[in-house]
Amino acid sequence: MRIPRLLQAILVLAGVYFGFIVVFDYILEAVIPRSLLTMYMFFVTAGVFMVFTYDEDQTRELVAPIKAMVENPQYRMIRNVVFTIIPLLVGFGVYTKMRPSFDAPIELRTIHPAPPSTAQIFGRRVNLLELQNPFRKFEKEDPEQFAELVAEGATVYIENCQYCHGDKLDGKGPYAEGLNPTPLNFQDIGTIAQLQESYLFWRITTGGPGLPSEAAPWISSMPVWQNFLEEDEIWKVILFLYDYTGHEPRSWGHE
Amino acid sequence: MGARMMGVLSIRNVLRGVLTAGILALLPNVTLAQASDEENGEVIYAKRCLQCHGEDGDGLGPAAERLNPPPRDFTLGMFKFKTSAFDDDIANDADLIRMIRDGMPGTAMPGWSDMLSEQDILDVIAYIKIFADLGEEAELQLDYGTQVTSSPESIAAGKLLFEDGERCTECHGLEGKGNALKKLKDDNGDRTWPRNLTKPWTFRASNDPKDIFTRISVGIPTTQMPSFADPKSKKKLTIEERWNVANYVASLAKTEQVVHPDNFVVQASRVEGTLPVTPEDELWGTAPSSTFIMVPQIVGQDRFFTTANDTISARALYDDDKIAILLEWDDRTQSIPGDPKAISIADEEIFQDAVAVQFPQSMPKGMEKPYFLMGDAAKPVNLWRWSSGTTEDPETATIIDAIGINNQVTREGHAGLSASGSYKNGTWRVVMTRTLKTGSPENDLQFEEGRFVPISFFAWDGSNSEVGTAHAMTTWYWLQMTPRASSKPMVYAIGSGLLIFVILLWWGRGASSRRQKSA
Repeated sequence: MRIPRLLQAILVLAGVYFGFIVVFDYILEAVIPRSLLTMYMFFVTAGVFMVFTYDEDQTRELVAPIKAMVENPQYRMIRNVVFTIIPLLVGFGVYTKMRPSFDAPIELRTIHPAPPSTAQIFGRRVNLLELQNPFRKFEKEDPEQFAELVAEGATVYIENCQYCHGDKLDGKGPYAEGLNPTPLNFQDIGTIAQLQESYLFWRITTGGPGLPSEAAPWISSMPVWQNFLEEDEIWKVILFLYDYTGHEPRSWGHE
Repeated sequence: MGARMMGVLSIRNVLRGVLTAGILALLPNVTLAQASDEENGEVIYAKRCLQCHGEDGDGLGPAAERLNPPPRDFTLGMFKFKTSAFDDDIANDADLIRMIRDGMPGTAMPGWSDMLSEQDILDVIAYIKIFADLGEEAELQLDYGTQVTSSPESIAAGKLLFEDGERCTECHGLEGKGNALKKLKDDNGDRTWPRNLTKPWTFRASNDPKDIFTRISVGIPTTQMPSFADPKSKKKLTIEERWNVANYVASLAKTEQVVHPDNFVVQASRVEGTLPVTPEDELWGTAPSSTFIMVPQIVGQDRFFTTANDTISARALYDDDKIAILLEWDDRTQSIPGDPKAISIADEEIFQDAVAVQFPQSMPKGMEKPYFLMGDAAKPVNLWRWSSGTTEDPETATIIDAIGINNQVTREGHAGLSASGSYKNGTWRVVMTRTLKTGSPENDLQFEEGRFVPISFFAWDGSNSEVGTAHAMTTWYWLQMTPRASSKPMVYAIGSGLLIFVILLWWGRGASSRRQKSA
């Protein structure tokens, strides 16, 4: 048996709608904002409408059940019910839309904004595309010195970073709960493991105020560390972040 | 052949296992875990613990100065939260396991259960015992008797004992908020503060009555929290009495002023009549209270790591002309410069207590708020600041225009701001009132009904050396003046519903008349 075109269209729309919710809310566990979902569904509905009204026959087939409901006296009962429900739904929709909201406004933000190619750091213009961690080479050349540098980085971290990012680098420091957005969890595979050392250097040195405009609203509490730390200390703490978590920094080159 | 060998071996292993388990089960106090491996403990210690507790286990890691409380000094061989009897200095292994596994709330010590196995934890314990040459096990254990379950009678009995002869109130205060009445020190000479018993989330070892019973019975070694099981104590209590006090202490938990992590909004209710001008006004009971976590100011120069105030609660009310905000926070000291008693309790130089509410200077367009630490040149902020006053000067309310923490200007006029505060049993309550609109809209935020306005909070504990950039603070939250109930949404809803109904009716009639014609 063939599924009527109208039902097909409804099924496609419902499938996409619940598909979004299942994928974002449940599989990715990143609840999709309702405003975004509404926008997506607007485009999907427009697309479905265009496909299903491609030519006149299809259009006629699509609206046939609706026409029948309105015109055929056999379906009078259904018509009456539908004609009562639709105005009620519209009224309810208007009411919920106009009712004052007591929920805090939603703030969407970019977690990993694209870095600029250069940035003003430690009083000079730094090319972030070419920037390398000057201590990384010791990992292979001189493991003993490397371990020392990591230990120095650990000291910088404990003195400055653990209050928010935590002793375990899991973003759950003693003050983490007081901050919004919450501090990054470096153990998570989605943070420093995805980034180059130069990106970390840029985010640490320039902090929340150094975020580019596309990362608005830049409400990050990350301090501007070039005001507090030496350049070397920042590179060492970056070594420590990767060493402690066991992640590898991303690089341009192929291993 | 191979298969047979395997079979024999595995049977032998099973037999050996059963025998070992049997023998171990007969011995008291022996667990099935392997003997602790101090070398593994040392490796773990070097990676996970050394940064705070120090290479020599003396608690003098690089961040010791910036941590409050400081990391434990293992060379003492004493532990604060233990379940062995008060007259046995040695903590049980179970106590150490618990501290490492679950961490200590309100401190920088996290729980390690997700990173260290039970065996790893035992190995670390074996290693840290070396710092104090701890060999033997605790011999005397705390007697829990029969637990008295919490009941109004038990709580009432506990309250009497808590207050009787200043048994507990001497340090913890009449309402248990730990408001300083005495200057306390630990065995290292470091300043300590009695726990604020109304904030159970700051209890290092939970506020379960059983844990509270343990603290009351054992005391907190190395601090001035004594044992109330000690028969030599003038304030000693029986087991049953200690359960009653434990139930009372557990009942002190604040239910109204706890942080709800999903609440970002202070709702200002509308008042018909006059706004309250004092913190004691009963009208405040009609406004919902929102409590937020405060963190030390460690973002701008000069940083300050060890602030004393950890939460602040806000309520707000408004009428046609004005908005009033009530701020409540527990402060263990009333800091009055010039007052000998306040000076004697303060750590160092004493300053006034103070609180401030931060607003953007103008209503932000879109989502972009000023920099949360006192704004910047592009987006200035207003701070409404109240200071508690000294023995000579009264309390003050000032407006500060800021474009950054090091760029604050105290305004000459009040711009319609007034504030008054009162301190009672460890809590400050301050009311700030300002007109909704001011004469200089270019300098002051103008309030509008229903709009969400960014709001944040700052607090200074003057007895904790907090002055200037040394303070506690929150990030941005929202203040909304709850709009008045209006019939507009309902009118529009009925109107649009009717309109659609008429259109449908018209369509249906048209269709049926067409059909009749064609028939």
